[in-house]
Amino acid sequence: MSDLSNLPSQQDAISAALALYPARPFAVSDIGSQTGWLKAAGHDARNLYVSGPMGLATSVALGLAAVRPNEQVLAIAGDGALAMNLTSLATIAGAKPKNLSILLVDNRIYEFTNAVPTPTRDLDWLAVGRAFFGEACVRLSEMTAERWTGVARPAMIVADVAPAPGKPPALGLTPAMIRAEFLGASRAR
Amino acid sequence: MQRGGREGGVRDDKRAPPPYQAPSRETCVAEAASSGDRLFRSIVAAKPKLVTGVPDGMLSRTIMLCEASPDFPYIACAREEECIGVASGAAMAGERAIVMVQNAGLLNSLGAFATMGLRYGLPFVVIVTNRGALADPNGYDIEKREAFDAGVRPMARVFDFDANDLPDDLIPAAFKWAEAARKPVILALEKRLGAEAAA
Repeated sequence: MSDLSNLPSQQDAISAALALYPARPFAVSDIGSQTGWLKAAGHDARNLYVSGPMGLATSVALGLAAVRPNEQVLAIAGDGALAMNLTSLATIAGAKPKNLSILLVDNRIYEFTNAVPTPTRDLDWLAVGRAFFGEACVRLSEMTAERWTGVARPAMIVADVAPAPGKPPALGLTPAMIRAEFLGASRAR
Repeated sequence: MQRGGREGGVRDDKRAPPPYQAPSRETCVAEAASSGDRLFRSIVAAKPKLVTGVPDGMLSRTIMLCEASPDFPYIACAREEECIGVASGAAMAGERAIVMVQNAGLLNSLGAFATMGLRYGLPFVVIVTNRGALADPNGYDIEKREAFDAGVRPMARVFDFDANDLPDDLIPAAFKWAEAARKPVILALEKRLGAEAAA
């Protein structure tokens, strides 16, 4: 990735991915960077901000998708995070949930850890995703809402994003607040 | 497991015990089926929305029954930490979820258990086969059990059971406890002396 100047920010990539859906999906974000930018993109009761180990969002989203089969679920993972739970892609490919997608935001750094480069910074994430999900692994830059409707699930969206100049605003929510609000939203429809 | 009927005491060489006879493979399979079936029935009685796990020999029968169950999905994970995530996702939506792993697998997952299960107060049930017991002395299991005692018991409530003598209401009772306590609960199943092997 030689020229980063034209890449969207992580916040904009998250907003763009959410806008692909006709109705707001559940959004499950990894701890730190993804949780902060998801909230900055717009707080919603259907956001589930994960405080678990990096990379667990994909697994949490799989559990949520399994118990809410009539709802769309979007897991939001960073490249550093997903590399820590890469096996979850194999699990999701095997479970074949018809309502789960993964948004990979690839900024090639650990944003919350002083921007240390990730070991996956030269990895072709589209190829990795296609190994698990075939043609259902797509680039965000090539997606429209209409195209997205036709993509089979489980799916993976790869978004190259620019490293942010700083961290996102603090979450400002306690675990009890997150749980209570999400519990209400998960039972609302 | 004590085979041949002698545990401790002074050996009387003039009255040698009957020669040891290993249980047949059929007996072991039947015992595993029996205890595995009992655990599965208890799981069904708790009406979970999902079950997830990584296999252990003592859990294989139950896992196969869960895979075939029409009552809930069984999500086969590649790693145990994923199971904690999957159960957390279900529990965040207010649904009952069960994790089945070996003690070494839970040890791999303590970060997720603490930062999801304990931090959010999620009442899911973790069924752990606690290998390395006195009746289960595989060399490669001993340290797992020591680490389980040192690492898991101080941070979470663990209830211990004989894998071959599980109460019918075990899993419903575990959910009642977890939901009252607002945190996950761990059920440690082990082989005990005097009982046939579970697997």
